[in-house]
Amino acid sequence: MSSFLKADELTRRQFVSNAARAYLGVHLFPMLGGTLASAAPADVAKGSKAKHVIYLFMSGGMSHIDTFDPKPKKKDVMGKTEAISTNVDGLMLGHYLKNTAGVMDKLCVINSMNSTQGAHEQGAYVMHTSYDMRGTIKHPSLGSWIVRLGGRIHPELPGFVAVNSSPDHTGGGFFGAKYAAAPIGSPDDGLLDSRRSSSVSAEDFERRLTLADKLNRQFHGRFPNADVQAYEELYREAITLMNSEDLKAFDLREEPAATRELYGSGRFAQGCLLARRLVEHDVRFVEVQLGGWDTHYDNFTGVAGRCLEFDKAYAALITDLEKCGKLQDTLVVVATEFGRTPEIKTEHEDGRDHHPGAFSCVLAGGGVKGGLSYGTTDASGNKIKDDMVTVQDFNATIAHALGLPHDLVLMSPTKRPFKIADKGTPITKIFS
Amino acid sequence: MNFRIKLTLGVVFASCGALVAQDSKPAATPLDPAALKKAALGIDQHIASFYRNRKLPVPGVTDDATFLRRAFLVAVGRIPTAEESLAFLEIEDKAKREDLVTYLLNSPGYSSHMTNWAFDLLRITDGRVGSAGNNEPYRNWVRTAMEDNMPWNEFSNRLLSSSGDGWDPETAAVGYYTRDRGMPLDNLSNTMRVFLGARMECAQCHDDPFGTTERHDFYELAAFTHGQGTVKQNLMTPIWHQYQGDQKNYPEEYRLAQVLWDRVYDMSLAGNGAGQINLPSDYQYRDASPGTLVGARTPFGRTVRMSDKRAEGDGRKQLAEWMIQKTNNQFATIIANRMWKRVMGKGIYDPVDIFVPTEKTHHPALVEYLTDLMVELNYDLRLFQNVLLMTRTFQFGTNPKPSTVEAGDDFHGRKIERLASEQIWDSLITLAAGDPDKQPRRTLDDRIYMGGSPVLVGKKTMSQLSKEVLAIESEKELRVYFDKLLDEVQGGSGNAAAGDSMMMGATVRSYNKDAKVRASELPSPAPRDHFLYLFGSSDREVVDASSREPNVGQVLSLMNGFVQRELVNKPDAHLYQTLKGASSDKEKIRRLYIAILTRPPTDEEMAWMLDEVKNQGDEGYRNIVSALVMSSEFLFLQ
Repeated sequence: MSSFLKADELTRRQFVSNAARAYLGVHLFPMLGGTLASAAPADVAKGSKAKHVIYLFMSGGMSHIDTFDPKPKKKDVMGKTEAISTNVDGLMLGHYLKNTAGVMDKLCVINSMNSTQGAHEQGAYVMHTSYDMRGTIKHPSLGSWIVRLGGRIHPELPGFVAVNSSPDHTGGGFFGAKYAAAPIGSPDDGLLDSRRSSSVSAEDFERRLTLADKLNRQFHGRFPNADVQAYEELYREAITLMNSEDLKAFDLREEPAATRELYGSGRFAQGCLLARRLVEHDVRFVEVQLGGWDTHYDNFTGVAGRCLEFDKAYAALITDLEKCGKLQDTLVVVATEFGRTPEIKTEHEDGRDHHPGAFSCVLAGGGVKGGLSYGTTDASGNKIKDDMVTVQDFNATIAHALGLPHDLVLMSPTKRPFKIADKGTPITKIFS
Repeated sequence: MNFRIKLTLGVVFASCGALVAQDSKPAATPLDPAALKKAALGIDQHIASFYRNRKLPVPGVTDDATFLRRAFLVAVGRIPTAEESLAFLEIEDKAKREDLVTYLLNSPGYSSHMTNWAFDLLRITDGRVGSAGNNEPYRNWVRTAMEDNMPWNEFSNRLLSSSGDGWDPETAAVGYYTRDRGMPLDNLSNTMRVFLGARMECAQCHDDPFGTTERHDFYELAAFTHGQGTVKQNLMTPIWHQYQGDQKNYPEEYRLAQVLWDRVYDMSLAGNGAGQINLPSDYQYRDASPGTLVGARTPFGRTVRMSDKRAEGDGRKQLAEWMIQKTNNQFATIIANRMWKRVMGKGIYDPVDIFVPTEKTHHPALVEYLTDLMVELNYDLRLFQNVLLMTRTFQFGTNPKPSTVEAGDDFHGRKIERLASEQIWDSLITLAAGDPDKQPRRTLDDRIYMGGSPVLVGKKTMSQLSKEVLAIESEKELRVYFDKLLDEVQGGSGNAAAGDSMMMGATVRSYNKDAKVRASELPSPAPRDHFLYLFGSSDREVVDASSREPNVGQVLSLMNGFVQRELVNKPDAHLYQTLKGASSDKEKIRRLYIAILTRPPTDEEMAWMLDEVKNQGDEGYRNIVSALVMSSEFLFLQ
């Protein structure tokens, strides 16, 4: 009988340490759990309420004018979009967001976002990492930073999960693979392959790992290499995960049909529901992506289509989190790489081009005041008028909500200093 | 010369009866093997002088087994089958490494592997978001160009300057532009990045504060490609508006109109590049006011200008010519460095899509040599790779340390690198189902789809439809054509049978996402829950976006997922067939090692594995297979 099979009888720490030593040659590496949080400051900033982040990324560049920053007086700018009122006096939304209008009192819309990057790859990269793309270094993504600074909460489940997201924006960068997101392709299927196949006995499964470990130690001995080591660490991570009783956090089938319908269908919508389950099970950071916002061509049909899925799911998520009491300690973020031009290109069937100069992101929950709009753009949504928020300020605000130090410097393996939000400063005014 | 090599290979590989040398199309530039060898020697001499200057020892050459696996993965993107491995390892022949390279470059696996590269570079996806149009004929054009080894200069030229019918194989390269319909400026930024390593994304919106490119320059460049219209789509506007507005009452009419509107007109490209463009309405600098009409002008190299007074109308052709011939070899040097990275693992400078002037690289003489070689070989990428694969440099031993040169290759032995997602997939299916290159490749599906199902099968293809429709000159004529076509479709006789498709003499072959075929033949991009995506294949929305980042999902998949289902626990997996006729446990273990890791086990490993079989019997073999595939040695190129 091996320690792997007896895992249940052991404490987690013993299990991890024994399994790791026995099977994966990881006596070389520091143990997980406690040390993952080693960079966390002893005292968390006072008054911070958020423990989790649900980060909804609108990939392609969400048109701010058609969604969160409508300009009802400017017909030429609005095109086919109309502004509708919300449950907060004076705040309006594009007419595609009818459900969202009903939870406006929970939202803080930031209309003065500004990015210096106008191409997708670079724009999405800086939103996720606070740094511009470089050929020489991979920066960790926001989720990795937050797990690194705040630690994971659940000891066995991943600290960072990404649903329907691009691996390039949810990687651990120079923090390494253990800070990369556990990827979910389809929320319906949950975390794929997280259970041992029924055709393999526990004994044989263990024998396989033992053999693989012997081979890996030999290989690693011949070729000591950081990328090779990263894979070896992941085996340890994976086994811990497979043994967790809370794997059901990934299983949407445990949700009542009525709840699933509340969110609507589609990977993003069901991903939002999965995100709620995951934060309930103490996952630190969940990213869910909704693509297709790159509406150069026929913007209004495009935006209507995207909002169909977004609006229902987002409003349901806010409502559902509130109902189960998790909205107060979960920061829900809506982000995108840039906005879209006020100018409507008739030669592209009423398209809108990229517009990094001014765009909108939204925060809710986690101690952020609701029913608020922060920052303004000019009459046509072209330039920022007041309270500019840079990408770095935005990320600093997210860190602040969690009580994490936005100005703590961590060194990369190449001995260069980095911070979660580079030179950003948090907007403290929006917190209650 | 081809004959000689084929003959040799025939002897080498016929010995196990598993292989027949593939028929190959003649290379674009016939070059005798001696000349290729001489070119390879030239590279090695440059590398040797690099070592001499730095007073470093020259790395040794790797063993046959490592070379074999490396050459397969680099040249054809998969591991060798057990039969291929044995054929190579068991033959004593001084020329066998060279012969292997020739064999690989002439096998269909070569173009499959190149196709993945080209698809990543050009962001080739099957479908288009928000349109019934697709990129199928364009995908097929690129795939075919890789198969035919179209020279890189011709390939680039055709992509940049084609116009006309999106379904005609002669002009299907228009997909390069129509793929990005509505975003011509992004398309142009990508063009500069892909072909010249010039990064101009910033200048789309503002002067580049760190570089020399101004927004004005960018628009002058954009003038070359400006005016990307569709061929006579306006003739269809009345029909389209009529049925689009009344889909409920005219569902069939609408669906057919959609075929013409999205899949014929919208996939065509009119306008060859106006040569002039208006500055954008938010143009912010003093040198010109918003909306000013500017003529085309190239930003560097030998200047090419076009008039702002009249539209000359061949801007795209002029741009392509400038790029290929008038940029001081920047075009050649960029592709040479891309190929170096492909073969050697790391670019001489990396990233390979940010051009570094030759004199500023850390080995100018080598860069110059490779650039000249690329031009001399007439941009024949297969021959160019052939030369690189024949160098001693390619055969250097494995070096686990990262490059000592900050952004580039230190030429100091082969760097350890995780395989690309497509290489892992193609290797796993080789183990699961045998040599995947024996499967025919996917063909163009040019059936006419209305809604989800094909119509008029055996009667009319998309290519024919497109040709007929684009030839129509008036609204009236189009209306008559449309009504007649609708009649034919509704006549019902159209939806049919295999017999019809035979009559046309063309069989459509496509593979769904679950097919165990080469990644290059699967739907693009891979769906998000596919093995390929999990291991980092590109979603093909941005240039070269594949990733080798590890994550926990990959490890779970290796332990419990695809590998277990399709390989380890599947008794009829090809891998287990290699065990047939093996007389002893030792022999079986040896064969599994050869099949999976391309080498025999060490004595120590043999003892472990024998022990496993002694304890667990048949299950022991499955455990061995599982462990070998999970091992780092399987996932990493050495």
